[in-house]
Amino acid sequence: MVSEHAALLKDSVADFIGRGMTIGRVRALRGTPGEYDRAVWRQMAELGWLGISIPEAYGGMGLGLAETAIVAEGLGRALAPEPYTACAVLAAGAIAASDNEALKRALLPAIAGGERIAALAWQEEAGALDGNHIAARATPFEGGYRLNGTKRYVSGAAGADAYVVAARSDEGLVLGIVERDAPGVSLELAAIADGRHFGTLALDDALLPREKVAAVGEAAAEALASALDRARAIAGAELYGVMSRALEMSVDYMKTRVQFGKPIGSFQALQHRAVDLYIQQQLASAVLDDSLRALDAGPDAPTREAIASRLKARCSDAAVRITREAIQIHGAIGFTDEYDAGLYLKRALVLAAWLGNSTQHRRRYAALALKAEA
Amino acid sequence: MADIDYNALADDDFRMRVRAFVEARYPQALRFLPRRVRMSEIREWWNTLYEHGWVAPNWPREWGGMALDPGKMVIYLEEMERHGVARAADQGITQVGPILMKYGTDAQKDYFLPRTASGEIIWSQGYSEPNAGSDLANLQTLAVVDGDDFVINGQKIWTTLAHDSTHIYLLVRTDREAKKQKGISFLLVDATTPGITIRPIRNIAGHDEFCEVFFDNVRVPRDTLVGGLNEGWTVAKALLGFERLNIGSPRRPQYALMRLEMLARAKGLLDDAGFVDRFIAIKLDLEDLASLYGRYVEQVKRGEPLGHDVSSLKIWAMEAWQRLTDLLVETGAEDGVIEGAHDINGAEIDFLAPFYYARPSTIYGGSSEIQRNILSKYVLELPS
Repeated sequence: MVSEHAALLKDSVADFIGRGMTIGRVRALRGTPGEYDRAVWRQMAELGWLGISIPEAYGGMGLGLAETAIVAEGLGRALAPEPYTACAVLAAGAIAASDNEALKRALLPAIAGGERIAALAWQEEAGALDGNHIAARATPFEGGYRLNGTKRYVSGAAGADAYVVAARSDEGLVLGIVERDAPGVSLELAAIADGRHFGTLALDDALLPREKVAAVGEAAAEALASALDRARAIAGAELYGVMSRALEMSVDYMKTRVQFGKPIGSFQALQHRAVDLYIQQQLASAVLDDSLRALDAGPDAPTREAIASRLKARCSDAAVRITREAIQIHGAIGFTDEYDAGLYLKRALVLAAWLGNSTQHRRRYAALALKAEA
Repeated sequence: MADIDYNALADDDFRMRVRAFVEARYPQALRFLPRRVRMSEIREWWNTLYEHGWVAPNWPREWGGMALDPGKMVIYLEEMERHGVARAADQGITQVGPILMKYGTDAQKDYFLPRTASGEIIWSQGYSEPNAGSDLANLQTLAVVDGDDFVINGQKIWTTLAHDSTHIYLLVRTDREAKKQKGISFLLVDATTPGITIRPIRNIAGHDEFCEVFFDNVRVPRDTLVGGLNEGWTVAKALLGFERLNIGSPRRPQYALMRLEMLARAKGLLDDAGFVDRFIAIKLDLEDLASLYGRYVEQVKRGEPLGHDVSSLKIWAMEAWQRLTDLLVETGAEDGVIEGAHDINGAEIDFLAPFYYARPSTIYGGSSEIQRNILSKYVLELPS
């Protein structure tokens, strides 16, 4: 059942997307170092979107992933470059799941309000699914930690003011906030397919003051793991928005493009192809609904991981397949930069790869499912 | 038992009652059969259900049914599937009963409904013909009005379990001039009527599950007609929604999935990344199917009719089931082509039976290609 919040949100998202989120804006912003529009980000904050899943005590709306997904799906449809999932869900989620109350009270309202933008700098190796691989060191000193190491594939890095960094200490994982312009912190950007960037963050004796430490040890590991799985679910919702719009475009094109004196949508070879894409979209939608509901019920860690992996695998595969075939259905025009189909494929590729692709998530699911049954 | 209002029970309570009953009374030897069951094997279970008042979950109480609402109906079916209850020749219950209640005369209802519930009358479905498969409306079996009778000539084929049936419900052409769908009528025919010949056809699994039925000047009374003359297409089409939901149930492939996992453990394949990648993809295809199925179940429970989009459920369910049994046979290597159940490192596996069982699923009940045509036309609204 759709909650009242959900119904209102759906209207508000549709309205906002309809008013200003044109593909022209997406094209204008792609490849720019700023990556997205700060004014749009502030509007999203005013609508309450940036704090949807942040608890009310910290200036958010305290709603679930089911509601967060509504915004992500809308942004996916519009190919918005704003790093909603990376910053408002992943980085904010990692802080919200940590246990430094003072830090949460100071930072989360500013994130929900759009005044501060943080990105999560956790990953070091491509394909890593959890924090076990982290090699960056957090060396304690009297005022906090010194951080050394290199963080890669940081989504939303380009426009972030601060980074939530994960590093390893003798007490286990350390999660803390490092300012972008702090000494010992340097950022390089690598252009990715969808016109945005992954950041590579070099930490060279960067200081993490004690009051900026979000969590240490088990608490940090759990905060990171749960934030990653929740962000995977929302990335799935974003992928769902991407695939849905791409499918609509393809079906519309099949109805209007005429060859051999008939709309190409009258040819059975293409009809059945489109139907198979529709089935993938329907599966993704059903899996997304079930998974978001299950995640909002607060499952234990292995169950949460299995749900997030199942969802990310299906949404990634469905979105990449639908957007890839959208190019084929459109023919040569679909392969041009001028036509939008390619933009949908590129966003699908990026979101599918980010936080683990379908093959990796199926393997993680296999490890969990086959172990549970043994 | 007949006095209980099942719909007034809490879902869990009802579920537990069905589960306990099936668990205690349904024969072990007939659970999860990878083939259609013959009436001779399952007659005793039919009688058990009948005596308990549970043989017709979808029928109203006045006709001896359980009068289950859609939500309870889903639970009933889920519990049957959980125990691998084989599907008897139950088309009298699922098809003829509801059709008669909607379109039948009082005399037809009084005669056929009690006998159908008791199992005295067993029905088979005479729809398909040699030249009317996917193009069912092209059927040519002719019924000519002659005084108070119809005289039927023609041939039906793929008539499942006709040799176990006492009666056949038939689609026949009664107007050769009218447009395809318009000249068809729906008849209820006693299978022992002179002129009817039933010949089983052996399928690739080696079972005689379906038949050819020949009609040679078969004379039946006029009151075998259900609904109006030439209105048979409407009568027959009234029931297709719920059948497509049932056919997409994620439990059907469970037997083969369990066998494949058992086999994988017996052969140590769960350490083989190549195998695990393929196995888990199919396992997830089936789990995702369960989510899609659940969505349609909720729709049915809310009392909403199923739309054409439910065809996607059938396509995905059946094609995933086939991929699963393909992998089962492939994983068996040479063992995969040995007939019957046999021992693989302590696991008892029948490779070919599940493989064969899944084969016709993309053909019967509207082939996958027909389902894609339906989705294309009615859901994506693509031009023809």
